[in-house]
Amino acid sequence: MRAVPRPVELRLLLPLVILVPLGFVVTHIAQTGALDPGPLGLAIGYVGLMLAAHLVLRLTGNQGDQMLLPVVATIGGVGIVMLNRLPQNLLGANVFGLRLGMATTQLLWFGIGVGVMLWIAARFRDDGVLRHYKYTWALAGTLLLIITFLFGREVNGARLWIFLGPIGFQPAEAIKVVLVIFIAGYLAEKRAVLSEGIARIGPIKIPPLPYLLPMLAIFFGVMGIVVISRDLGTALLFFGIFLTMLFVATGRRSYVLVGMVLFVVGSFGAYQAFGHVRVRVDNWISPFADPSGTGYQTVQALYAFGRGGLFGEGLGQGLPTISGHLPIPALPTDFIFAAVAEELGLIGAVALLALVMVLVFRGLRTAVLARDDFSSMLAVGLTVSLGLQTLIIASGNVKLVPLTGITFPFVSYGGSSLLASFVVVGLLLAISHRSAVDAVAEGRGP
Amino acid sequence: MIATNIRRLSFYLVLAFASVSGALTWWQVLDAQQLATRPDNPQVIAAHRSLPRGSIFDARGQLLASSQVVGGVSTRTYTDAAFAHVIGYASLRYGATAVERAWDDLLTGRADPNPLRDLLNQILARQPDEHDLTLTIDKRLQDFAQAQLGSNVGAVVAIDPRTGAILAMVSSPTYDPTGFSGNPDLAQAAFDAVAARQANPFLDRSRQGHYVPGSIMKVLTASAALDSGAITPQTTFPDQPKQEAAGFVVNGFTIREHDLGSVKPALWPLSEALQVSSNIFFAHVGLEVGASRFLDYARRFGFCSPLRIGSAQRGLSVDPSYLSQASGDGCGPFVDEVELASAAFGQGRDSVTPLQMALLAATVADGGVLPQPFVVRDLRAHAATPLDGPDATVLETYGGAAGSRAVSTQAAAQVRSAMVDAVSGPIGIHYAGAGAVSRYGVSGVLTAGKTGTAERGPGLAPHSWFIGFAPAQDGSVPTIAIAVIVEGGGTGSGHAAPIGGSVMAEWLRLTAGG
Repeated sequence: MRAVPRPVELRLLLPLVILVPLGFVVTHIAQTGALDPGPLGLAIGYVGLMLAAHLVLRLTGNQGDQMLLPVVATIGGVGIVMLNRLPQNLLGANVFGLRLGMATTQLLWFGIGVGVMLWIAARFRDDGVLRHYKYTWALAGTLLLIITFLFGREVNGARLWIFLGPIGFQPAEAIKVVLVIFIAGYLAEKRAVLSEGIARIGPIKIPPLPYLLPMLAIFFGVMGIVVISRDLGTALLFFGIFLTMLFVATGRRSYVLVGMVLFVVGSFGAYQAFGHVRVRVDNWISPFADPSGTGYQTVQALYAFGRGGLFGEGLGQGLPTISGHLPIPALPTDFIFAAVAEELGLIGAVALLALVMVLVFRGLRTAVLARDDFSSMLAVGLTVSLGLQTLIIASGNVKLVPLTGITFPFVSYGGSSLLASFVVVGLLLAISHRSAVDAVAEGRGP
Repeated sequence: MIATNIRRLSFYLVLAFASVSGALTWWQVLDAQQLATRPDNPQVIAAHRSLPRGSIFDARGQLLASSQVVGGVSTRTYTDAAFAHVIGYASLRYGATAVERAWDDLLTGRADPNPLRDLLNQILARQPDEHDLTLTIDKRLQDFAQAQLGSNVGAVVAIDPRTGAILAMVSSPTYDPTGFSGNPDLAQAAFDAVAARQANPFLDRSRQGHYVPGSIMKVLTASAALDSGAITPQTTFPDQPKQEAAGFVVNGFTIREHDLGSVKPALWPLSEALQVSSNIFFAHVGLEVGASRFLDYARRFGFCSPLRIGSAQRGLSVDPSYLSQASGDGCGPFVDEVELASAAFGQGRDSVTPLQMALLAATVADGGVLPQPFVVRDLRAHAATPLDGPDATVLETYGGAAGSRAVSTQAAAQVRSAMVDAVSGPIGIHYAGAGAVSRYGVSGVLTAGKTGTAERGPGLAPHSWFIGFAPAQDGSVPTIAIAVIVEGGGTGSGHAAPIGGSVMAEWLRLTAGG
């Protein structure tokens, strides 16, 4: 491992040295009216963490994409400023009797996430471990899911959590990554057969079912457990990732079309069968029918968007409280995007989405440049998992689709989600490093 | 190959991100104004917290609602629970309803009736003054109607047929909104206490109560039949006398007469048929009119779509009344002739609001023209001492919109004559006679009316209905039309008709010489 310079990364990270602390100062002044900078420990910690990550990537000789870390750090910076500006007792961790505030807890998770990301970026430069044991990965993931379903702790009517001592974890986040690895490995292997189609009845190509079956079995097994666990957002995300990867591997729109038809039929069935699905959909169609009951959060989020307007109310100046309470209980997790849109306006919200788009496009670029089909498919799946997750929660917030509880990557409060997102970035760094090294070796330039 | 597919994928992703941005633009820019003015928006509630709010007066300047800022919190006081449903409430915690909601921006002064001043206020961001409202309702009649309903569950709606001005609109049980219209922290207990009471006091039965109408619907059937020429006042149905006992078989279903008591069946024309309230006669009439024509006339009277008290821009909404299975906001087709015939005598799938039935009576009283109802008469400058009455400066007046013709003057006159017989005729006097104003101390005045006993199925006491208007003798112009319902009150003659007659008599007394 020879140290390499990463000048672009450093240059893009430097503005954060000013911007994140500035965000803390602005919200502090807006909320207290005092003309002092207020406590800046968390801001400095955050910026220091990202600069340290840059340093480690340099020292470990990573030649991967230099845009990834700065973009993630900027998105996460918006998140940490927002979380720091909310009442800190809203959420948080209780670690061995030590009560930590929301932003402090989140920064700790950022630290763990960045550490894991760096470890993966350095360690997984050879992807054999991932590729050859794909069934083992899938099996381990499924087992974890079943354990959670049977023995996990129930929070808000869904059994999605496993607790190791004081630390709660949502295994669905880990399974997301494992599932992508499995599908990528499987599709990379069977791609040729799947995209050809082996039989025809008249004009209709019959997909080679025997080749699809093992993957379908595992995928729908996972989906089944997720759906039974009432984790609608995750189910939607998994399905989206699966269809997208199938499309990229085969280039056949018919798979996607059949998948969508299945999805519509399944959704209709779920609407008929499950009360909690019906409530979500009814609220989506007419949230103002019960604005103080089941439609409450959706309606309050729309009001937050409306208050924000084009330029926003300003950091720290949004979210009028009702009798001292936050209007949206799930604000730090499901509705953080609404809070950003309220305080930073349409311009800020679109900029945040644009940052995610940049991240997605860098990920797709990594996929295009990857040296083999597996790496390509892996990069696509990982990237799309971040992109789709953002799309699902953002469009749920703006009432484009029914709201499902899922986090906004790097912005929402939540350790498991943050950790999983950093695993994704770590893998993307590893893949892009490999193709960069290969390109140099083949004389195609850096 | 994969690279090509990724390029295609990136196109779809851009599309998806663009649609989210589009939706964001909708809520944050295009629809922001609409969201910002919704009364349950916390921003609006917070802004209202210390905002003064104009007063509301009755037609004669009696104070009904006024606000004071107590310790930085705008606190509203309502003087008369009989107005709770018309005025609604303006709560810092629960938002606003009814008139308080529809006139919210003007009452608080967030909007100004003068567009130029409104623009100036917005540009200069200055706080405009609050405004006051005057209702068309006379507190004396409103209180009288509420007292007549007493502990009964029901509603009374009275309208001036000439103008559409609401004269009384009460719903029972009622409540006092003062308790939850001040400090939002104390509001919940008062609000919950009302919500926990029997028969949902928050429901405005006059606008949102859905009831089977029973025989009062025959007024609509008669109007449609006479105007369309399906019958004349002399038309009789030869089979009707024996069907009164044996039943009238339509499509294999036997329509039966209600209990006629001591009345002997005979060959009845319209007047007698309305007096005894013959279901058989009106089943025949309904079939003569025909399904599509009947629905068409119903729509002319305001059925089958939501109604407004006030204008489309500013007013109170009234739930639609139906004659057949509701289809969207309208009436679906009758499924068969049985449903049509049943609808014609007020059963079947008929479902009506008291306000709609008051409008039906008012239309007959107004010579066939459906008046446009309104309940807020004008907007005025804020009176500094509201107990001394409203300010003299009228900024805007409401109402006075032209009605729409439902049936010809001649058809309306024929229905009116039959309704006078229904109250005062030799048979009718035993049914709807209790609705005659002459029984309540107003002499020399004839009343037109119709009772209804709305069957609700086995084991449930029928709803008691009355609609009518007065004065109704030849050459007089009716000044009040009314609809009364007493839920589970039994026969129309027993409960609703006496309330209707006494409220109309009270109005004639109050307006005599004035």
